Amino acid sequence: MSRQPRASGYFRTGYAQDLKLVQTRAERASLALLGAVLLAFPFLASPFLLDLANQVFLASIGALALMLLTGYAGQISLGHAGLMAAGAFTVGILFRETQAPFWITLPAAAAVGAVLGVVFGLPSLRLRGLYLAVSTLALHFLVVYLGGEYEAKRGFSTGILIDPPVLAGMAITSGHAWYGILGTAAVATLLLCLNLLRSGTGRAWAAVRANETVAAALGIGVAGHKLLAFVISSALTALAGALFAYHRGFVSVEAFSLFLSIQYVAMIIIGGMGSLLGAILGAVFVTLFPYGIEVALRALPGAQRYAGTLFAVNYAAFGFVMILFLVLEPLGLVGIWRRVQTYFLLWPFKHRPLAGRRR
Amino acid sequence: MQLAVNITVLAAIYALIACGYVLVYRVSRVLNLAHGELMMLGAYLLLMTATQFSSHWLAALTAAVLLSLSTGVLVYVFLMRKMTGEMVLAAVLTTVALGILLRGAMVLIWSAQQFYPAQPLQIANVAIALPGGARISLCAALLVLTTALVYGALLTFLRFGRWGVRMRAAGQNPLLAAQRGINLHAIYALAWGLSTLTGALAGMLIALDAGLNQTMAIIGLKAFPAALVGGLDSLAGALAGALIVAAAEILLINYVDPLLSEVVPFLVLIAMLIVRPWGLFGTREELDRV
Amino acid sequence: MSTLLLCVDKLEVVYQRAITAVQGITLSAREGQIVGVLGTNGAGKSTLLRAISGFHGIDDARVTEGSIVFKGRRIENSEPHAIAQTGIVLVPERDKVFPNLTVAENLAVPVAPKLAGSERRRRETQVMQFFPKLGALRNRTAGLLSGGERQMLAIATALVCRVELLLVDELSLGLAPVVVDDLMARLMQIKRELGITIVLVEQSAAVALAVADYSYVLENGRIVLDGDKARLASHADIQEFYLGNANGGQRRSYRDVKQYRRSRRWYG
Repeated sequence: MSRQPRASGYFRTGYAQDLKLVQTRAERASLALLGAVLLAFPFLASPFLLDLANQVFLASIGALALMLLTGYAGQISLGHAGLMAAGAFTVGILFRETQAPFWITLPAAAAVGAVLGVVFGLPSLRLRGLYLAVSTLALHFLVVYLGGEYEAKRGFSTGILIDPPVLAGMAITSGHAWYGILGTAAVATLLLCLNLLRSGTGRAWAAVRANETVAAALGIGVAGHKLLAFVISSALTALAGALFAYHRGFVSVEAFSLFLSIQYVAMIIIGGMGSLLGAILGAVFVTLFPYGIEVALRALPGAQRYAGTLFAVNYAAFGFVMILFLVLEPLGLVGIWRRVQTYFLLWPFKHRPLAGRRR
Repeated sequence: MQLAVNITVLAAIYALIACGYVLVYRVSRVLNLAHGELMMLGAYLLLMTATQFSSHWLAALTAAVLLSLSTGVLVYVFLMRKMTGEMVLAAVLTTVALGILLRGAMVLIWSAQQFYPAQPLQIANVAIALPGGARISLCAALLVLTTALVYGALLTFLRFGRWGVRMRAAGQNPLLAAQRGINLHAIYALAWGLSTLTGALAGMLIALDAGLNQTMAIIGLKAFPAALVGGLDSLAGALAGALIVAAAEILLINYVDPLLSEVVPFLVLIAMLIVRPWGLFGTREELDRV
Repeated sequence: MSTLLLCVDKLEVVYQRAITAVQGITLSAREGQIVGVLGTNGAGKSTLLRAISGFHGIDDARVTEGSIVFKGRRIENSEPHAIAQTGIVLVPERDKVFPNLTVAENLAVPVAPKLAGSERRRRETQVMQFFPKLGALRNRTAGLLSGGERQMLAIATALVCRVELLLVDELSLGLAPVVVDDLMARLMQIKRELGITIVLVEQSAAVALAVADYSYVLENGRIVLDGDKARLASHADIQEFYLGNANGGQRRSYRDVKQYRRSRRWYG
């Protein structure tokens, strides 16, 4: 992961400095500020806002996992919702059949995700690009079908109810508790991704994404690294699905439609391909988008007319925004953010020298 | 016997839809995942023209077909044209986004109700008895006939028509085609138009046969494995793929589990991708070029 | 003197808005002439031809300065299909035929506006007379042809488009000298009978200098030398660096070869 210096110049003198996560004092300060805001948020926000934040955290975990796979390792997946469903159903089934507590179900979900990752990843050894995307799409349908089959055969036709997890004798139901758990999980995922990407694994992924043949010629195990990307990404995604199940207290196949997969792909596209910050920005954008549409519709006169078809307005607007990003801003929100940042960093100049073009 | 008829009808549906995927993919290497939605749009366009020209079913059908042809051309001119030269993935995601947009818009315009365009057109969907004790509805028979006609026309056009040959040339080497005086934008627009037209025809006939609601786009997606099984760049392959997928679906539903209906095409797809990823009749280099 | 057909003036081509490929290229071709363009790998020969025949959206290249005038009309940065229809046709270096189409279908591909069906058929038979071998291969898939047959087919398809200016990129590349001689002879015949103008881009200077009426030498994206047949053939630098015979064509013993190469002295 080669990163542009964010200080006023290039002062690094060793590789260790190149790998440091926090580089400048201004960065440390802004990170501290962000941490403070995140900590203070639950005490100030309304329950509704708290719930939104929790949804954003959940989406961030999924988006980060997908970004790892698509944005960094270069493997396209349209089956993300299938993996989430796998995680959620692992929790649901284990809870229903054995009353297993969360400290068993969560690792189990991650393990199921990892195994499915191998299954999803195996086609990638032979297929590339579109064909790979299609194979993950097919697997998505397969997983969702199996979930539906379980629901139907066991008589949970409307879905599986799950009791809230119990920690130290207390059931976790309040938004505040969930905020803590999901926030920690999201931050932990982010740190995991950051560390993976600045290790040899991350560099191997970048090489595989750029050119498989060259990567193999450089002595990188292409197949192994592709599978590893799928396994890690899928395990994280399944974990997100499991947390989603606990948070909702309810699992049903309806929640894991193809649209969810598309939403996750939209997150990394809208956020900006190849950037962890992009994954988070995209997760925030896509999660808050329907609520934004609802607010905007209410502000319009004659809004009642659309109240019944809110989901349709949502769909149409979402597709429209996605097209706008794809056509007009392929670099996504991160592209916009970086342009603003660069503008201020370089002012009064306009362009960076060509040699240091950022990716 | 009835099973064979059902397989034929379903295969005809899949084949008619799949040739739309093949046309666009073959010429521009873009996988059009909005095809299901475009097909549904065609059906709704028929609904619209059916209320306009009630009783003149031919006029209504012609108008709807022309409208869907121009829709396809417009999609290329206003959207996909901007994506030429971008990453293939970006182009495919654009079609996904277009699909979502269309789906939302169609609910807004026509609501999620069930419609029967056959009623205003006064087409009685009578069942025809076939030798062997099987029955087929009039519209389904029409569908099989249309598929045969469309495939005959397309194959002749691509094989012998001057512009058909040019279309194939543009798919193989766009740059050389342009250097030989072929306007690529015209070719791409034509491919999109034809693809939408055939898809819309399928949508209209299904709507006439079984009614029309928002779940129709799923059929479009299920026809995609048919296109891929045959090889994404081969029309004859799409026909074979449609037969395989339809046969697998009908037989499995009949003998194993009705719930399987949604996944069978994708199961066939996975099997195909493992054994022979470039499809039955596809060209092998395709894989590396994507 | 015949009229000026193509006139390239101070051409500059930039790829991806950042990489300048050729600069200040001035070149002209008169009707009925054969113009040779020589140069080593990466000198900008193919870029020059691509610029004349039009860039494609994916190339991400533009003519940023200068002009290309063909029959009195400026054509720089036009779409390739529009340029092809004015009568400039390129035979590219590789991928010159459509491999999955048959020979006959390849010949049907070019779009020639204002050419009626009967006229076109006449033209096709005429082209076939230049390359009788293609007639026997009409229904063969082009991907199965040999290199020489492919080159023939590529030239034949170019001729079907009512070509006035034929741009040929590396005719000799990857072909046996015997095949090259044969192709050259046919090209000369075509030129005489159809009265077309040819721009011949070559790495192999011997091939180009043998036929070209006037030649340009490209190096690092600039024209460093130009002149008619006699002038170039006798130029000492051309002799040494492109034809490989110094000292008036006598073979040198390796003992005499200096450890360093004589520096090039271009003076236009």
